[in-house]
Amino acid sequence: MSAVAIETTPPLWRRLIGFNLLTAVVLGVGGWYLGWFIGHQVAGASIDYFGDIDQNDVAIFCGYIIGLLGFLIGLGFGVYPWSRMRGYPPSLREKETEGAGRYFGLCTDHKVVGIQYLWGIGLFFFVGGLNAMFIRMELLSPTSHIFPPGQYLTLVGMHGTMMMGMFTSGILGPFANYLVPLMIGARRMAFPRIEALTFWLLMSAGAILTTTIFFGGFPTGWTGYEPLNDQANAGMDAYIVFFALVGISMCLLGLNMIATIVTMRAPGLTWSRLPIFCWGVLSTAILMVLAAPVLVAVLGMAMLDRTAQTTFFLPTGGGSPYLYENLFWIFGHPEVYILALPGFAIVLELLPVFARKPLWGYRLSVAGLLGVTLLSWLVWQHHIFVSGINSDLRPFYMLSTELISIPTGFTFLCGLMTLWRGNLRFPVPMLFCLAWFFNFLIGGLSGVFLSDVPSDVTTHGSFFSMAHFHYTIMGGLVFTFFAAIYYWVPKMTGYMLNERLGKVHFWLMFISFNSTFGPLFAIGFLGQPRRAVTYAHTLQFLNDWVSISAFVLGFSLLLFLVNFVWSLVFAKVPAPANPWGSRSLEWQLPSPVPVHNFDRIPHITSDPYDYGEARGPVAVPAPTGVGGMS
Amino acid sequence: MSELVSHATDYEIVEGEPPELLGRNLNSGAHLFASATAFFFLAFVFAYFYLRSLNNADKWRPKHIDPSLAYGTIVMALIVLSALLVRIGLLQHRAGRRAQWRRTGVVALALGIAGVVVQVIEWTAIGFGPADGGYASVFFGWTAFNVLFTIGTLFWLENIVATSLRYRSHATGSPAPGEASGDPGRPGHDISDPLSLVRPGLESLSFYWGFVAGLGVLSWVVLYLI
Amino acid sequence: MTEAAASTTPAPATDHGKRFLVAWIVASVIATPLVAIFLGDHLPPGNGSAQAHEQVFDNSWLLAIMTPPGLFVVMFLGYALWTFRNRGTVGALEDGPPIRGNARIQTLWMVITSAIVLFLAGFGSYELVQSGAGGGQGPTAAFQPAGYQKALDVQVIGQQWEFTYRYPTYGGIETPHLVLPAGTLVRLHVTSLDAIHSFWAYGLGVKADANPGVDNIVYVHTKDPMQFDIRCAELCGLWHGYMFDTGHVVASGRFTSWIKQQQSYFAPVSKYLPPYSTTYLPDPSQRAG
Repeated sequence: MSAVAIETTPPLWRRLIGFNLLTAVVLGVGGWYLGWFIGHQVAGASIDYFGDIDQNDVAIFCGYIIGLLGFLIGLGFGVYPWSRMRGYPPSLREKETEGAGRYFGLCTDHKVVGIQYLWGIGLFFFVGGLNAMFIRMELLSPTSHIFPPGQYLTLVGMHGTMMMGMFTSGILGPFANYLVPLMIGARRMAFPRIEALTFWLLMSAGAILTTTIFFGGFPTGWTGYEPLNDQANAGMDAYIVFFALVGISMCLLGLNMIATIVTMRAPGLTWSRLPIFCWGVLSTAILMVLAAPVLVAVLGMAMLDRTAQTTFFLPTGGGSPYLYENLFWIFGHPEVYILALPGFAIVLELLPVFARKPLWGYRLSVAGLLGVTLLSWLVWQHHIFVSGINSDLRPFYMLSTELISIPTGFTFLCGLMTLWRGNLRFPVPMLFCLAWFFNFLIGGLSGVFLSDVPSDVTTHGSFFSMAHFHYTIMGGLVFTFFAAIYYWVPKMTGYMLNERLGKVHFWLMFISFNSTFGPLFAIGFLGQPRRAVTYAHTLQFLNDWVSISAFVLGFSLLLFLVNFVWSLVFAKVPAPANPWGSRSLEWQLPSPVPVHNFDRIPHITSDPYDYGEARGPVAVPAPTGVGGMS
Repeated sequence: MSELVSHATDYEIVEGEPPELLGRNLNSGAHLFASATAFFFLAFVFAYFYLRSLNNADKWRPKHIDPSLAYGTIVMALIVLSALLVRIGLLQHRAGRRAQWRRTGVVALALGIAGVVVQVIEWTAIGFGPADGGYASVFFGWTAFNVLFTIGTLFWLENIVATSLRYRSHATGSPAPGEASGDPGRPGHDISDPLSLVRPGLESLSFYWGFVAGLGVLSWVVLYLI
Repeated sequence: MTEAAASTTPAPATDHGKRFLVAWIVASVIATPLVAIFLGDHLPPGNGSAQAHEQVFDNSWLLAIMTPPGLFVVMFLGYALWTFRNRGTVGALEDGPPIRGNARIQTLWMVITSAIVLFLAGFGSYELVQSGAGGGQGPTAAFQPAGYQKALDVQVIGQQWEFTYRYPTYGGIETPHLVLPAGTLVRLHVTSLDAIHSFWAYGLGVKADANPGVDNIVYVHTKDPMQFDIRCAELCGLWHGYMFDTGHVVASGRFTSWIKQQQSYFAPVSKYLPPYSTTYLPDPSQRAG
């Protein structure tokens, strides 16, 4: 069917030569050694570092950067710039063929990129989750007993960094890439090549972070505070490169999303008919575009401190660790909402379908999303209430932090009122959405303790704050991530996931999640600091309880994996086009969606929430063939 | 099964998108990337004023740390001039004076490259190193990343100039299919009339290059004047 | 039961709404005082100092204020999910009523949440301004308790990986033990020699980051003699997990004799100490490169 179909299949060896994943890996490794060599020519290895006299951070950074370039060129990202450089005209797409091979290379089809993201992020989620299991294993006993302290810190840091870095794109990567063009009636994203680039940047970042174990790991946790960052051994470089690449990937992803939603909406899709999921994506993307560059800049400074011996963060050299803390949290707080907002959007998008009612208070929920987007810029110093920075400004940051609960409350109100008097049914995606209410409620209420300075003095840096952000991020984002998987994977793959196993997965996960993180509030209140390998022996019972619950939580995620693989590889129950009876545009298309999405760009005639109202089709094919926003 | 799409439809139908849509994409992309760039350099502005106000260990700016104003002004002037020329080139292109635009574009490119070269010369002749206190750190960090952004924008400028030069005899119309960037196996272009994209590209570039030049002026004011 | 009511009553919404609201108000009125009274006193960090007491007070208030909103969401979910579930009498894809919003409910919600938020911020600020609530306040403490001029100065120095303490009013001696006199207002100067640490004296309700080159001031008013746990609460490198200690609050007579004993014990090494200063800036012992 494809016009690009290969006429005669060449032999295997011939197909392995060319721009593909194999070439990419070869060039990536080769680039690493080239960069390593160049770095050693430019700068000598440090000799005064007593831990590792061969440490040459310049060589390591060069290796990572040139290796990354080699990897991207090997995938074929160099072809387009090279031909543009020679003056050939622009084009949109590359290698939009069918078949399994397109998932393992550069492909500009937004649906392929979405599925690539789903598997890629899933892989790193698994690695990060495994780290969490190791952490809880170590915390079974109040003293260090399995891992030495350095390895323990590396595990903690890798868990945090992996999760915070990868899951920034956890919803926008797989689901927004796949669904936004379908929801707004477009055939592609605004910048298809950039879309593919964001995915491969993220994957290279993940691989680079994993290489930290060859360089002794890193001791700073996901925040990478200076001056410990500057003092740390070579494993720190992997952290810096990882997070900078994640930042670039995030920024480009957000840019692509905003440009797509602004310029590519189908005729008739006015702003007040835009699905709430797209509003959530839009507000998240705004935060991504503006916050991620600050992260890249601050990591650039950290890189210069570690290589060129600048003194941005060294108080003895005219710098200040406060600079790092400020800049990191100027990024870091919007980042927290980059993780939370897509969850809000998914809940609000799914509830109308399962309540068979229009979304209650559409404008209010949009106002809630945008209000959070705005306010999240004004609160960063609540992360550093006890650090001694600007202590007289703390009442302001206390107020601005607590103000965020007003727009967040809009989301709660709209979600809850959508349920009221509906015709509720409870398939797996609905269960995960309802769990969001409970988890985010606890996460939000515990956040009040952290926003209030006197209470924060007790809870800051303790397991209380750790429990708080796991309730908001895991309870808020990961639960809705699973809601989205159970809801949209039938559309993406054409196969239903097993409902009964899904319900077992949900209940096991919901109960063990609360049993894991609920007691951590008490543990934190009782004085256990985060990231410490030891704790008071009186807290051992609670910690063991948490560890065992965490293992059950891990098991529930394995159960999901079994369900996922079983349903998609073995059972293969074909999904109907619209199994949930949704009115949204993507469900009006066949499952899985054909390569080009729409024969003719549709004309949107109503918003996707008109349940119970006089109904026509939500969209009809537009009279002319191709077009953008009306 | 759906009236909107069917699996049996030929893939050919996605070929030939209207270039206006791409122009809009490019334009919004350039504005968004400019916002991202602004926030990137905001970190350096913040670092400058924060470290200056703290002056830890009296190492903000020891006496001998004094980069040459002449070099700084030359770099800034070259970049601003190049951005102005691109703007003028855009006006010429709009007025249909393609040959003039091509000359202006080449000169703008040369000026931009000269700006980068002078910046590199300044680094080697500056008389202090990155380890000499807070100001020196901010100076080297800021100028280094400024050069990176400048090189990226110059690459974009080069693409547009190169396309204009290569197809200087085509007024509009499609080049041969094999010449489309990207997949060489594609029988036709996926954009109809891809050469007409030079104008929207130039418009977005002109905006973004002006923005980067503005940042150059900002860095000149902050790093050299105050 | 509600299904029967729904089919006969023309406006079932008011019925359900009222019933839920009454249930919620009754539950809140019962639960909120119970939470404040029975849970409040057990909240951390205890009654070891005036600041710790403030935090307990703050924590119990916050918990009490949160009870009604928390109950609202949980009870609403419980009520709505039970009452409006599909009972098989109508089709699963049968649409509900097309209610798109209600301006009165929205306004009421906004007013109530804003009132709660403003109250919380005002309450927290008031508590903070009293005496700094035991948190680190930086070199120029903005919120000082009454009588701060006469406070006893004690310096806390974080270094990888222990805390040491200097008493400037007693000749600037440095000891590895923290002992404070009872019933005294103490001004702790928290600083660091290398990475960022955080001085967390749990029982005293004190937490302040130790930053290199920064004098982070905390006021704490000790009460009766007691022991308290000290931990580092900011990741500071390899042995962060082992950076803990026990501090003591003792009667002022015992404090005087203890400090004399320390002075004589450390006399042979005290002369090598750098002179007391609010910050110290040693060159870093390691940098990457």
